[in-house]
Amino acid sequence: MFKKSNFLMYLFLFLTLIILLTPIHGQRKTVIKYWLWLDDPTDPMFPDLVKQFNSLNPDIQVEYELIPLSQYYDKLVTAIGAGTAPDAARFKDWWIGAFVDAGALEPLDNYLKNWKGYSDVISNLWNTGKISAKSPIYMMPHQFITFYLYYRKDWFKEKNLPPPTDLNKFLDAAKKLTDPTKNRYGFGLRGGSGGQDQWLAFMVAQGARLVDRNGKVIADSPEAILANQWYIDLYRVHKVAPPSAPTDAYAQVLGAFQSGITAMMAHHVGSSVLVTQKLGEENVGVVPMPPADPKKPATMITMSGNVIFSSSKNKEAAFKFISWLTEKEQMDKWSRSRQGQLPVLKSVANLPYYKNNIFFKVSLDQAKYAIAWPPLPGVGYISAQLWQNLMQRALLGEITSKEMMEEIANALRKK
Amino acid sequence: MLLERNKKEFINKWEKRVLPFLLLLPAFILILSVVAYPIGRAIWLSFHDFNPLKPFESKYVGFENFFKILKDKVFFIALKNSLIWIIGVVSFQFIGGLIGALILRQKFKGRSLIRGISLIPWVTPGILISIMWMWMLDGNYGIINDILLRLGLISRYIPWLAQKNTSLFSVMIADIWRGIPFFAIMLLAAMEAIPEQLYEAARIDGANSFRIFIHITWPLILPTVIITTMLRIIWTANHMDLILIMTDGGPGYSSLIIPLMAYHTAYKQLNFGYASALALLQGVFLIIIVSLYLRLLRKKGGMY
Repeated sequence: MFKKSNFLMYLFLFLTLIILLTPIHGQRKTVIKYWLWLDDPTDPMFPDLVKQFNSLNPDIQVEYELIPLSQYYDKLVTAIGAGTAPDAARFKDWWIGAFVDAGALEPLDNYLKNWKGYSDVISNLWNTGKISAKSPIYMMPHQFITFYLYYRKDWFKEKNLPPPTDLNKFLDAAKKLTDPTKNRYGFGLRGGSGGQDQWLAFMVAQGARLVDRNGKVIADSPEAILANQWYIDLYRVHKVAPPSAPTDAYAQVLGAFQSGITAMMAHHVGSSVLVTQKLGEENVGVVPMPPADPKKPATMITMSGNVIFSSSKNKEAAFKFISWLTEKEQMDKWSRSRQGQLPVLKSVANLPYYKNNIFFKVSLDQAKYAIAWPPLPGVGYISAQLWQNLMQRALLGEITSKEMMEEIANALRKK
Repeated sequence: MLLERNKKEFINKWEKRVLPFLLLLPAFILILSVVAYPIGRAIWLSFHDFNPLKPFESKYVGFENFFKILKDKVFFIALKNSLIWIIGVVSFQFIGGLIGALILRQKFKGRSLIRGISLIPWVTPGILISIMWMWMLDGNYGIINDILLRLGLISRYIPWLAQKNTSLFSVMIADIWRGIPFFAIMLLAAMEAIPEQLYEAARIDGANSFRIFIHITWPLILPTVIITTMLRIIWTANHMDLILIMTDGGPGYSSLIIPLMAYHTAYKQLNFGYASALALLQGVFLIIIVSLYLRLLRKKGGMY
């Protein structure tokens, strides 16, 4: 029955099977799933880092997934709800409140105790990963930005205007540089997607706050309503912003500044290369966010960090990866890439590359007094949609500054 | 012998009664899991307070979500916009498509090339269409503004997408542009199927082109007209890719339609219950509109 050739074939198959199976048993790896967004998804910087990490740690295999920022929040929410969250992910400070409230994030304090880079992180930046002064740290700071103001040096010189170092000079210059007949406007106001960061920078620069020191919501205080009114008036009363401002998002605001439609733009270091390449370094000036009171400067900071989800089964390995990303060399590599934002490590910030670049320098100097979105659950909704809707209606005159700030305060108070 | 016959009968029965169901089972399971389950889930969600970040803390709330909708001012704005959106987009797409089909039916040089090219808007992905039209309509350097200004029709650049009275119409124009080829090709196919003798006979009887269209072409393409417009109504009511990218419902609520509102409520506000109730209501409205439409036209189309 059993022919010899058959027997040989079975033997062969059996042996191949064993050979195929052995390596899998031989080196079982801990697989870490990591999600992130990159402003430029074609940048090889991150895949290179992962390759490097995987070869340094043969027992860990990092598998990453790139997701555009515009869908990132939706995807995370769905994954948490469906129980398919990754082990670790790049994360924004805006979302911490909602995710901690749902118990989805792992406190990192126990891991951080043994991490050698802890004291190298600019100390007040740890706050961006907490939900209150005494809470555990949920997000490891990684890359941040602070908002500053670009201005057209050549236009300012032409009209003999001083640099916009405070809000009076800012408004005065914006008015003088606006000329609708030439399609020229003083300031690129961003009422569309993502405009809430720019808005918050102008709010805090006027001394208004969304929450007080004890975490009480004061977004509907008279000061905040007035500060918001000032911002709305830039468009409605002084008309120093282009008529398209209510829906202008980053691409439009950047495009208008680059093509000589606007004289000033509030943004961060992420656009410095694009702006100087287009307009020439000699024509682009940069100042810290102009405050109302020069003695009380303030601006907006937003942090992109890394979190570990409480559902992860490999938290140790996940921490190994995200803390490795935060070490000096990797941090420097990331900050110099096309995704480049500000490094959270003092040792990196002090390198000549950052010290000698005016855009990095102004941004880093602002880190001392910059203010982030309060870590409340409602911030996710405000930054994802509510702010944009309210601001657009306020710019169109459908609601008042007071109504807008009350809605924001309600969303912040919502548990 | 008897046993043998019984066996045969049994197999026969089995083949007739059970086998068909067995063969249908895979398809049935597939439909159940990708259609019936989501619908059931949406109905379940619409009666609950559900936050996807806290899936185990959902709460039964009865009809509360539906009552809230009826008191929600934003819902009625979205409903109005949805109606303008559906009726405006589908009717202009249809008119454009009909004209396109009549043109493409004429014999001229390079006809097949033009027929192919005319499909481009329909096969372009929504995201590309959105970005293209966004920059064409841009308030600072859009080409549409430039052309209108040079023609002297406007005195200064208009931010089409940033004004509440132009934003919805601007997106509608982009969507109309996209959908015309669909109608054109479908109607063209229907027209090509009309026997040439009918036209010959009409021409011999001395009918002009208008009468030929009214009495021959139109009645014979009517069944296709009905089915394509119905499909298009459903698609247009549910598709929100263009609006999402071009205006995200803004400025304010001026271009918000119901599916977009449901999306915002679900993924930005994390209120899946309310969002499901919105989607469900939209589904019910759609069923009503489509069945009214079908009844209205079946009377006319039924005779063919």
